[in-house]
Amino acid sequence: MEVYQLDDLTQLQQHLLVQHQLYQVIKNDDEQCAWQQQTKEANEPLIAMLPQSSAKNFFFAEHESLLIFNGDYFQETLPTPEPFVLFGVLSCDLTAISYQDKFFQDDPYYQARRKQCLLVGLDCIQPCQQGFCPTVDAGPGVRQHNADIILHPLANQQWLLITTNDKGAEAIKGLALTTSHWHLLTQRDLTLRQCEQDFPDHSYIINGIDKLNSGEIKDSFWQQLAVQCLGCSGCTTLCPTCSCYSTRSISVESEQNKVIKQERFWDSCLYESFQREASFHNPSSEAGKRVQRFWQHKFGNEFFTTFNRHGCVGCGRCEQTCPGVIGVHSVMKRITNDA
Amino acid sequence: MLNHIPDPIELVNYIDDGEQARHFQFRLLNIQKISEKSTVKSIDKHQWHNAKPGQFFMLNVPSIGEAAFTFTEPPNEQGEFRALIRQMGKLTRTLFTLPKGEVLGARGPFGRGWPLERIAQHNIIIIAGGCGLAPLVNLINNFTATKSRNLADNQQLVLIYGAQSKAAQLLTTERMRWQKQIKIYNTLDEVEHQYTLAENESQGTPVDCIDSALASFTRPVTIALLCGPESMMQSAAKRLVKSGLASKDIFLAIERRMHCAVGLCGHCYLNQHYVCKNGPTFSWQELQ
Repeated sequence: MEVYQLDDLTQLQQHLLVQHQLYQVIKNDDEQCAWQQQTKEANEPLIAMLPQSSAKNFFFAEHESLLIFNGDYFQETLPTPEPFVLFGVLSCDLTAISYQDKFFQDDPYYQARRKQCLLVGLDCIQPCQQGFCPTVDAGPGVRQHNADIILHPLANQQWLLITTNDKGAEAIKGLALTTSHWHLLTQRDLTLRQCEQDFPDHSYIINGIDKLNSGEIKDSFWQQLAVQCLGCSGCTTLCPTCSCYSTRSISVESEQNKVIKQERFWDSCLYESFQREASFHNPSSEAGKRVQRFWQHKFGNEFFTTFNRHGCVGCGRCEQTCPGVIGVHSVMKRITNDA
Repeated sequence: MLNHIPDPIELVNYIDDGEQARHFQFRLLNIQKISEKSTVKSIDKHQWHNAKPGQFFMLNVPSIGEAAFTFTEPPNEQGEFRALIRQMGKLTRTLFTLPKGEVLGARGPFGRGWPLERIAQHNIIIIAGGCGLAPLVNLINNFTATKSRNLADNQQLVLIYGAQSKAAQLLTTERMRWQKQIKIYNTLDEVEHQYTLAENESQGTPVDCIDSALASFTRPVTIALLCGPESMMQSAAKRLVKSGLASKDIFLAIERRMHCAVGLCGHCYLNQHYVCKNGPTFSWQELQ
């Protein structure tokens, strides 16, 4: 690990742009934050704001081709992206990437994209509106093993730059940087600790997780909760750790030939048809069972043992998007108080 | 890396069986040739020669998609294999219209099959319903093959096979062959008035026959293999436990919708398990 002081962030952006495509979170005219590609000509300021969509689409594409069939044999269609940087990923989303790295560790399509990416993490020094990352060990400071480079804002528009591995060190080679005083790392720790303390009381989430794992929650509670699930897939689409997908075949005809393409695309375990078989047998035909499964997958001990952490990274996107008001805060409060 | 890419197969032949079910014979095509072309570089090759009874493969009907089926005969040295398939949804409806010689795709073998290491030397009761007999064909064939009969001395195997009606019964030829060596109970949900039940037939469900079947063993049964409708398997497992079998010795083959077969797409979840990867065979103990 090397620690530097950076006076001008633009310098770093320009340096990385020489060998990478660079994506950064930008606030649009409608006040929504989203990932956008940056060019050498225009570098937007770095903002520590949670984008509406996480970074999962960069690795686990919303829809992508798996193969083509030409009538004789099947050919793999692996993506071949140019090297790219995700510049300024917040700790919750980095934790989700680390979670998905493990889940998709043997998936060639995910890994083809992932190996091309340099992750530049950004510490949060203020709590965000719906976030509760400290409760689920996912922030607000970037965990060392989750990013190649970590940026931490200092006073006077200066930055602390930490390289956590060889990939990060290689990426900043040739950039004129001042080695930092170690006391700035202590300052970082203090700032992050203060930020953690500034989060509101989320003890109902801890209580909810305990209760969820106690086996005490009755089926009737989930059935009641599921009345509010519209099956819209908003939560599963925006959740940075959700990974369910389906596949479909598409005929692609050109003047020369006709091939069949097989695609995969994001799916949602909250859809009624998710487990429905050709015989119409459906093990999860009840909405209550589907809603229960979703939350069990995020907070159940049986999954914690596999991933060494919860499937929730505390970003709060599900709460923000759910039209039925059964995002994580609402559900955990109801489990704590009513289940 | 995981292999999502099917190997090309040829639909060699098919024979109808029961109501809207067919035995399909497939043949793996040009695996070596394809590999020489290096169309698939980054991934593991399918280990067809390692297919075990109870494992499954993903059949790719190119214009439609993929679905999971079990082998009734695993791939031989010529790459030929068989599957018993019932016409059910869009993919199988299309499959039943395809001519011999059509090129399709297959990935596999996948999943955890029957616990062969646990079965040897033990007395076994097999309970199957409808198409649920298909994943057991290969196993029963191995036990009853005249040339290499694998049943140990004093080892007993009894099959209870349930079907909705006489017309819906599958694998009649195979069951006729097997019953020369093993005891078979056939149950029919519905029996037409004019039909006279044969000696080893009764009206009802396979669960109704469990007590009689258990009584026919000279030494106690220690292993049970179940495959068929989930509610039937659950009732059968409960009855077997009541009769003294241990939950860890009762094995169920679970059916779920599958897209990827490698534990990623999420469709086949069963509690914390993925049926494609952790199953399809589970002990009753694992499912409690």
